[in-house]
Amino acid sequence: MISIDRVSRSRILHEVSFEARPGRVTGFLGPNGAGKTSTVRILLGLDRPSAGTATINNRPYASLPRPLTVVGALLDGSGAHRARSARAHLRWMAASNGLPRARIGEVLEIVGLTEAARKRAGRFSLGMSRRLGLAAALLGDPPVLVLDEPFNGLDPAGIHWMREFLSRCAAEGRTVLLSSHLLDLPVDDVVVINRGRVVAQGTAAEVRGEHESLEAAFLSLTGAASW
Amino acid sequence: MRKLLGLPTAWVGLVLGLIAAPALVFVNTPGLRRALESGQIADLGYENLGIGLLGALILGVVTVSSEYTSTSDDAPDARQMTATLLAMPGRSRLLLAKGTALSLVVAVQGALTASATVLLTQAMLPKYAPPFEPARIAAAVLYWVLLGLLAYAITLIFRNGIITLTVFIVNSSVVSVSYLLTKLTPWAAYLPDIVGAHMFLRSNPGEVHIPPVTAGLVMTAWVAALLALAAKLFARRPA
Repeated sequence: MISIDRVSRSRILHEVSFEARPGRVTGFLGPNGAGKTSTVRILLGLDRPSAGTATINNRPYASLPRPLTVVGALLDGSGAHRARSARAHLRWMAASNGLPRARIGEVLEIVGLTEAARKRAGRFSLGMSRRLGLAAALLGDPPVLVLDEPFNGLDPAGIHWMREFLSRCAAEGRTVLLSSHLLDLPVDDVVVINRGRVVAQGTAAEVRGEHESLEAAFLSLTGAASW
Repeated sequence: MRKLLGLPTAWVGLVLGLIAAPALVFVNTPGLRRALESGQIADLGYENLGIGLLGALILGVVTVSSEYTSTSDDAPDARQMTATLLAMPGRSRLLLAKGTALSLVVAVQGALTASATVLLTQAMLPKYAPPFEPARIAAAVLYWVLLGLLAYAITLIFRNGIITLTVFIVNSSVVSVSYLLTKLTPWAAYLPDIVGAHMFLRSNPGEVHIPPVTAGLVMTAWVAALLALAAKLFARRPA
């Protein structure tokens, strides 16, 4: 369970509040620059809000003793130093949270990087970097997943795989929060943000409302239709 | 804080792994080789220990700068620091772990290099070389560790290794700005990099004589102050 409670950050976010519940994929949607990444970074303790609280299972991220076992996060890039191999990157991440080494092989298998495990992260393609980032997120088999633009840089097969994967995670009872500027996503709940304010939230059907598609609803909510 | 210290060696091992891969490659080659090479030509082994500290500096810098280099051209803003903070969101704990790991690596490296240099000097120039004194070696190692931590703190303040490296390498190998300052005012002898040398050199760099223990304390104070500043900034700044 993720709770964002009246989170503000000067000029970027204005009293953003929403929740993401277990067993559901929550889409955090908005145009570029709407405040999606800022919100996610605050949730993960990377940035500080000027007001409000962001918690995961009622605790701020920074106070989680072994955060990787609670939250798996995918942000821009792989997070791996260029000179380190995929396996070495996962090894230090696993060690930092007391996770078994055997798990490294498992997550590499899940994201399809077994073959590239010894390759230096700096030589990875964009898609491979994303997969490595996802592998790191899955290390602790976390009940909560926070993914910032997970589809960026993926090829069509990768996008298909990611969709299936996210739905499967939710079906397993995990809380999945994904931010995206894409709209054609398999989401259960939707939070629409525009210019730092939440402009709509609810189930996908509620947010769609009278509109013929989520896309139409989104465009009318964010005023992008006036382009 | 207590919790971290109580945690198993995995912690240290982790951070060692974190920095060791890129760092040791850098360090052991230039640092060790230079110290040894100069150990062969110079007549006083201890003096040359000053050069080997490049290794300590580089280690101190890389400990931090590796976190801040961009991970790929596709995502220029993406840094390893993000992954590090996701794995270890407690920032003071993280700094402590890194500092501990850094000190350990530098200490081991320093002890090996220092002993080797002094012994080699004795072997090459048995007539001139001073006796092997463990206390002076220890002081030299301590100097290295403190200098490594100094580089660590400064890199953390600037979040960029190039500034630190430039300043320190120029200062320690080309022209010592600190040394020149000692010509202007005796107080410059208390600058962090120069004061520490008094711990193991007997021939007084600069004109001022500072007893080894005082020198150690002064340098430790410098390092502590800069580390405190760096930690404060690190805790406040967005990652």
